[in-house]
Amino acid sequence: MASTQIGSGTSQHIGRIITRAIVTLVMVATLNFILFRIIPGDPASLLLGGARSSVTAEQMVAQQQNWGLDRPLFPDQVVDYLWATLHGDLGFSFKFRGRQVTDLILERLPATIALVGVAQLIAIAVGVMLGLYAGWRRGRAVDHIATGASLALYSTPSFWLGMILIVIFSTTLGWLPGYGAYSPGATIGSLGWLPDYLRHLALPVTAVALGLIGQYVVVARAAMSEVVTEDYMVTARAKGLTNGQMLMRHAFRNAMLPVVTLITLNLGYVVAGAITVEAVFAWPGIGGLTVEALNARDYPVLQGIFLLLGASIVVANLLADVAYGLLDPRVR
Amino acid sequence: MTENIVQYSPRGRARAIKGFLRQFLSHGGAQVGLVCLVFFLIVATMPNMLVGPLQTAINATGDFLVPPSGQHLLGTDEVGRDVLNLVVHGARISLTIALLATVISLVVGTTVGMTSGYFGGWVDTWLMRITDFFFVMPSFVLALVITPVVLEVMGRGGDILGFRPSLFVIIVVIGMTSWSFVARIVRSQTLSLKERTFIDRARVVGSSNFGIMVRHILPNLVPQIAANGALVVAGAIYIETSLSFLGLGDPLQPSWGTLLSLAQRAGAASAGAWWYLGAPGVCALTVSLSFVLIGNALDDTFNPRRRAIP
Amino acid sequence: MTNSFQNKAPLLEVDRLSVDYGLKGNSLRAIDGVSFVLRAGEAVALVGESGSGKTTTAMAIAGLLSPNARVSEGVVRYRGERLPIDDDAAMRPHRWSETSVVFQGAMNALNPVHRIVKQIAEPCMLKLGMSRAEATARAKELLELVGIPADRGAAYPHELSGGMRQRVMIAMALACRPSIIIGDEPTTALDVITQAQILKLLGELRSQLNLALILITHDLSVVAECCDRVMIMYSGRIVEDGTVAEIFADPKHPYTKLLIDSIPNPANGKKMIRPIPGDPPNLVNRPSGCAFHPRCPSAMAVCTTEVPSLDKFGQGRVACHLHQSLQNKVTVHA
Repeated sequence: MASTQIGSGTSQHIGRIITRAIVTLVMVATLNFILFRIIPGDPASLLLGGARSSVTAEQMVAQQQNWGLDRPLFPDQVVDYLWATLHGDLGFSFKFRGRQVTDLILERLPATIALVGVAQLIAIAVGVMLGLYAGWRRGRAVDHIATGASLALYSTPSFWLGMILIVIFSTTLGWLPGYGAYSPGATIGSLGWLPDYLRHLALPVTAVALGLIGQYVVVARAAMSEVVTEDYMVTARAKGLTNGQMLMRHAFRNAMLPVVTLITLNLGYVVAGAITVEAVFAWPGIGGLTVEALNARDYPVLQGIFLLLGASIVVANLLADVAYGLLDPRVR
Repeated sequence: MTENIVQYSPRGRARAIKGFLRQFLSHGGAQVGLVCLVFFLIVATMPNMLVGPLQTAINATGDFLVPPSGQHLLGTDEVGRDVLNLVVHGARISLTIALLATVISLVVGTTVGMTSGYFGGWVDTWLMRITDFFFVMPSFVLALVITPVVLEVMGRGGDILGFRPSLFVIIVVIGMTSWSFVARIVRSQTLSLKERTFIDRARVVGSSNFGIMVRHILPNLVPQIAANGALVVAGAIYIETSLSFLGLGDPLQPSWGTLLSLAQRAGAASAGAWWYLGAPGVCALTVSLSFVLIGNALDDTFNPRRRAIP
Repeated sequence: MTNSFQNKAPLLEVDRLSVDYGLKGNSLRAIDGVSFVLRAGEAVALVGESGSGKTTTAMAIAGLLSPNARVSEGVVRYRGERLPIDDDAAMRPHRWSETSVVFQGAMNALNPVHRIVKQIAEPCMLKLGMSRAEATARAKELLELVGIPADRGAAYPHELSGGMRQRVMIAMALACRPSIIIGDEPTTALDVITQAQILKLLGELRSQLNLALILITHDLSVVAECCDRVMIMYSGRIVEDGTVAEIFADPKHPYTKLLIDSIPNPANGKKMIRPIPGDPPNLVNRPSGCAFHPRCPSAMAVCTTEVPSLDKFGQGRVACHLHQSLQNKVTVHA
């Protein structure tokens, strides 16, 4: 349906969006390069394990030639770096000797995707519905309670919510585990693995989801309370529609425009937002890796993660633009 | 949207300010926010008077992880320090970081936005391209990768302007990465303001570009900057708490986030030491929420959206 | 002058209707004791400045008052039966089936995310119980009726011109074959030529479908084309009511005179618009007596203290002390 309506203005628009995405990614990669080069000490010695290990002069020269560090910084090294990055080569980890950063990240990614994916689904179901309802009934008790609670959630660091959840549900009540992703001895695929995994997932998912719910309620409520003041809602009322029909046929889709954009954008942001929560629960995802990398000053891993976050944010931005175009005929 | 054009007669301005304050203070959210904020600001200005000097492992006064009691109102931490003492001193650190970072971000954001909107053309194009980057990349993500590197460059010893290096770096990095929102709003306001006749008049009289921006445009941007400034502070507290929690703070000048990081390392959650991790979290939440409420109330007051009669 | 509608049975009776808007504690009266009768097929214009109560009157008739409005006095009868205008749910069957509205500025009155054919078909499905196919067919017929090719129905509102959108609004208003159409400033946002076309269309459809029309406008010049009768409102009250010919040829109320004088008319050399002096009415502090007296060029002492009653005069009605005293003199001398 949409494809038949795309005109030259639209393709220009898409071209601009894609250009901006590429520019952003190049800037992320360049920032990575600059940051790596301003760390004190020769990159070659850093690559050999940082200032903490003793390196001979021959090793250094060999290393420099090996990595092309004897060539000019610009453009040779920058171009090399960007080229390697483009091919998924993010270098080697300091801490996990000899391991590719790309491999480390890919290994940890599924746990993070499980965490933020489930949290997103819950937050969309609860937060969006609650927010739309509060906006529809704005000024009523439901609205005041939902808005107050979501503003509080919105201002609360999710990781702190996680800590409180552990104190309540793990330490005090003993209902759910508050550490890691598996019980000791549980192996993937074994009987009872999935329930065990889900039990471990429950608290971190709740912590991430609560933060998102706060955001979604605020935005969905604002969108809906804007929509109900629009002239076309008066038209719908004049047409003799019931409140339910007005909500479902006229208000819902218009109010969902900004909400869908936010949800799609959040696909990129939640990975970053979950880092601290993962740290609290020792969740074996990107967040856990980030903390390990921070503590060990493992810059290649840290920058690999930065690149991953940047890429997911840029992709999410692209998706948000596409989604908005599909929902709103005015921007097609 | 109503346009607030600054009147230059002092009487008119006084009346406008009075009217604004009356409307702003009638906001329930603003009242709650202001009361909380004033409380924390007072606490932050005189921690030594209230709870004595910052306790360390050496001059700790209590036992390990003692729940709240008459002697330690908020209990103690894993080395026996009084949590109330830590939280009160933390208020000073956290608020200072958040407010200074906000000042930086407002100055940068306003300068970029006003320059971009006022001059237009290629200046606008390039400044907005940079702004777009910072708009897309969250401050937290940028700070996460920039802070450790800059810290490595500067070293963690000594202090800069009274701050431990890591705090100084956090202030600057948060400030330099969270201005894009302000820049966008200031730019769009500047674009509409520069078409007004009073700007033309100033130009005819021979005011310089800089003079026009500072004397004629900037005063009219104050409402937008104030409302967004409050939200920037809330964001700065959130980011500072998260960064410090990940270990980028400084244990010698512990903010609320650093305290949460220490609590996490001491296993406070699994030990059930709710007071230890509860106190700094509640403080961060309250202050952040206060700024959000104040920001919303300011926004409502400056842009009254709904009238009583359709 | 004869009014051909005089003898028909009333379709709509508005009887001493007053509506207040509640402003926490102190409410304000938007319309104050408005009475009039509308007969089948008749076209009436409600004319006044903003704040005169013309829109509130129309919305009250359509049962579309906002939640902060309250009907404090009076009734509205439709075909002799009292309309529950302050009961949102009870008004629902009446809306669009009996009274439909052509709103001003059709850009915002149409839902931006739905195709226009769907928006026209919607009331046919929901109120007339048509299937989707039947409703779509009807919507296309209606589009043709208002002069839009049926295949334009797939367009979204933003893809149409202002005049086209207003036509879509009219097609939509006709969907359930109502007896009354309320035009709420239907031509305000349009250029003069489009304005004339829309008014002509409304006039044609009215006689073709035997519709009663209530036209809300602040612009007296548009009513001559398509209305039989004009009611002038000021500060929530009707101040004069008469046939179009009477009002233009022999306005009785000083406010009506000033309104007519303020119409630019190049034909008789009046090129300049003469604005009415003074501030528009303030509803919070309505002037005592005749609300128009602070701006009235011929105000008398009695005007500041007593509200003039809306008295029958010929085929029309006037609420003015000056006019009453002139009448009394005429009667005495005769």
